[in-house]
Amino acid sequence: MTKSDSKRQAILENAYQLFRAQGFDGTSMADITSQVGGSKATLYSHFPSKEELFVECMMAALENYMSDTLKHLDASRSDPEAALRNFGTSVLNFICSPEQVEVRRLMIAEAARSGTGRLFFDKITALRSQISSFLAACMASGLLLRDDPDLAADHLGALLEAEILEPLLLRVREAAPDENETALAARRAVAAFLRAYAPTAPRIKVAAGLNAHVRRLPSHEL
Amino acid sequence: MKTKTESKRQAIIQAAAEVFREVGFDRASMSDIRERFGGSKATLYNYFPSKEKLFFEVMHHAKELELEAITGELDADADDLKRELVRFGQKFIAVLYSAETIAVRRLAIAESRHSDIGKLSFEQATVPIEKQVAEFLRRVMKRGELRTADPKIAAMHLLSLLESELLQRVLLGVIDSVKPEAINGAVRRAVDVFVSGYERR
Repeated sequence: MTKSDSKRQAILENAYQLFRAQGFDGTSMADITSQVGGSKATLYSHFPSKEELFVECMMAALENYMSDTLKHLDASRSDPEAALRNFGTSVLNFICSPEQVEVRRLMIAEAARSGTGRLFFDKITALRSQISSFLAACMASGLLLRDDPDLAADHLGALLEAEILEPLLLRVREAAPDENETALAARRAVAAFLRAYAPTAPRIKVAAGLNAHVRRLPSHEL
Repeated sequence: MKTKTESKRQAIIQAAAEVFREVGFDRASMSDIRERFGGSKATLYNYFPSKEKLFFEVMHHAKELELEAITGELDADADDLKRELVRFGQKFIAVLYSAETIAVRRLAIAESRHSDIGKLSFEQATVPIEKQVAEFLRRVMKRGELRTADPKIAAMHLLSLLESELLQRVLLGVIDSVKPEAINGAVRRAVDVFVSGYERR
């Protein structure tokens, strides 16, 4: 790690602790500078704004984790079910950890108010596109039904989170799920996903007058 | 401390609803609300310790009842399951993604760090709706139109799929409101995937 990298790392870690303790509004760039040491100019040379620093440190752990985990998603393997199940379990274990649940709460609490929502959304979209490329490869090789891979990634993500995430976010339960619980949730989610996107499964004929494949609106038109 | 009464509680909620509607959450103050309902500050705080709690109560009650009513209309004997789910999903998501409901959801998540608002929201809104949807699906499964599975899990899958395209954007405030045609398309795609995922083969 270069000197500059380690400085950046120190900024991210300290800022993360401050944001978590004091929130976005309650934390100033001056607070962060005095915690890390060095000058404000150095801080700004790494992160041009408090908004960008906030988004970086909230997303850093998830980005690192996902890039490690996604390496194991290999579309050339013949068993996409096992691959998706392992991937799903692993992602659930991570995002349901108390630390990540708290990060997500803070992100949602602050995103709309602080104007950082777009920055968060772009990062989340970039992570999703890595999952989409795996699904696109599965579609290309005939393992999955040909469809919009971004849409398929949204559906997979929704199914994975369906059972567990909301009670954690709302603190209805405190304890993170154990491996058994996440593995079971991932198994059920992947089973439903693979049935829905099976190459042999014809899309059910849509009821008269209902056109399921209405063009998906680009995000700026929503 | 004086005994709390339901009628006073309702009077405060009513007054707060008016104030929030007129000036919005940020600009509304507890003293505006106190003035409107005509009691003392001590009484107000005795019932609702913060503006957040009060806001939550006001918005939550209105939308919660509407969502439950929409869910209650689900007809397990409808001729066309897919059409029935699309009809439900479009009405449900339109209410769920109204500006007020989104504000309450965000607040519930944010405040769950230091209050029981999140828990209240889950118990009062999420649980009864999931139960209604699960009961509907249980009957559809029994009729043989969907494969036999745990209806509670299937209900969670369905509700989560209905939100899959829009939730992040809306919670993060990337978009303020969602156009009906965007909701309609997202719901159709979600229902298509749900039914394919649970159909009998």
